[in-house]
Amino acid sequence: MDNYLLSLFQLCDSNLPTGAFSHSFGLETYIQENKVHDKDSFSEWLRMYVTGQLVYTDGLACRLAFEALERNDAEEIWTLDRKITVQALPRETREGTYKIGERMLTIGNDLYPAPLLSLYKEKTANGEAFGHPAIVFTMIAHQLNVPENVILSTYLYSTILGLTQNAVRGIPLGQTAGQFILRDIQQSITKAVEQIRIMDIADFGAVAPGLEISQMKHERVHIRIFMS
Amino acid sequence: MRLSMEKKRDKTVTKQVYFQGAFKMLRPHYLDNSGQACYFLINPGGGYVDGDRYRMEITLEEQAELILTTQSATKVYRTPHTPVLQENEIILKKGSVLEYIPDPLIAYRDAKYKQNTIIRMERGATLFYSDILTPGWSPDGEWFRYDLLQLKNEIYLDEKLIMFDHLKLQPDEAGVDGIGYMEGYTHLGSMIVMSEQVNEDVLQRLYSVIGKDLDECKAGLSLLIEGGFTLRILAHSTQKIEELMAACSSFLRKEWYDRDPVALRKY
Repeated sequence: MDNYLLSLFQLCDSNLPTGAFSHSFGLETYIQENKVHDKDSFSEWLRMYVTGQLVYTDGLACRLAFEALERNDAEEIWTLDRKITVQALPRETREGTYKIGERMLTIGNDLYPAPLLSLYKEKTANGEAFGHPAIVFTMIAHQLNVPENVILSTYLYSTILGLTQNAVRGIPLGQTAGQFILRDIQQSITKAVEQIRIMDIADFGAVAPGLEISQMKHERVHIRIFMS
Repeated sequence: MRLSMEKKRDKTVTKQVYFQGAFKMLRPHYLDNSGQACYFLINPGGGYVDGDRYRMEITLEEQAELILTTQSATKVYRTPHTPVLQENEIILKKGSVLEYIPDPLIAYRDAKYKQNTIIRMERGATLFYSDILTPGWSPDGEWFRYDLLQLKNEIYLDEKLIMFDHLKLQPDEAGVDGIGYMEGYTHLGSMIVMSEQVNEDVLQRLYSVIGKDLDECKAGLSLLIEGGFTLRILAHSTQKIEELMAACSSFLRKEWYDRDPVALRKY
């Protein structure tokens, strides 16, 4: 067994206290408008979220962070941290993401300490960086010697796991329906990883406009259980 | 095309203007007595075709105020090989105000268009920037399907990147009408407003200005990390998007400068 496997289980576990359980990233707007209301409509939304958003943002950021780490290019990491943060135009999504990133940095520093992680944490503390979960995850996994394609697929999986659990609570769906969704999405994750690995870096940050507007509109959703 | 403007006494005047190729410009107008200049860009005669490349550089010196618009819609025709490339660089010095209000971009069948805009602002400058992307319409009433519209905006405030916006629309890709993408709408409008005066309170009030007109469209407003906000709109017509954007900019012009709405008489 690869000796990083158990560490990855731990990092991908939705019990990792990052605060991801309180963010829906626009899903709650669709739930309130009754556009997402059952297993099928959520599955469609989730596939869109992976292929229209995650691959161009977090997914490509994982790859770019991995490549920068391989070259020991810390400057590139800080540039990427800023670019991916300011790329998120909806305020709640942006702030939710860097709050999760900061929490993950704190946990990562405690559990798997390393000089670059501690520098990243220091930079977020004094306002020179934001903290992005895709970058933090990649940093931790890289020092555990996890290969790039495994980093990509496990990061995507952990994000999807969090969203699916939120959908189970928010729509609501049955626990078993949630598990079927997590099985069925695995194909999309595999395709997404292949796509990210050959993607032109000029595609970085492309957004799905309808999703983005829903993330903005969430600021005006009155009764809500999620912060984004 | 290169244009720089400066403030002389109470009036913004042309410091340098240069154009070659298809871009042309009319002489500056003054729409009111505020001293703010207004330039009309004249698009290439027939529209953009395969492999066309254009570059626009705008500089506003300190306190200069400019409205920049187009005389008509920008049309992108069939581009089977090389996408049309439009590059824009905008430099806004302290205290300057730029209102960039182009007509829509109309992309016809098989059109490919890429636009890269870099805006460098000093603190204290103000920007109103908009884009409207629309598909062309054929005589038999069908919307044309363009191949690609890809627009990127980068805004630097005192040399720090504070916003990166990337839209990439490929209508032939599966699911583009569906949830998360165009959601059944055909037209997409984006407006960016950068100013030290932007805050959550301004946004709340803008929402109440446009809130009653949000039928038949999907619109969202949100603050950037600092000094600005974006408005994004999906709709079925250019007119709808123009109305919402004009409502926002009119409200802010009144609020911040006590000026009347921009009235561009083009037709």
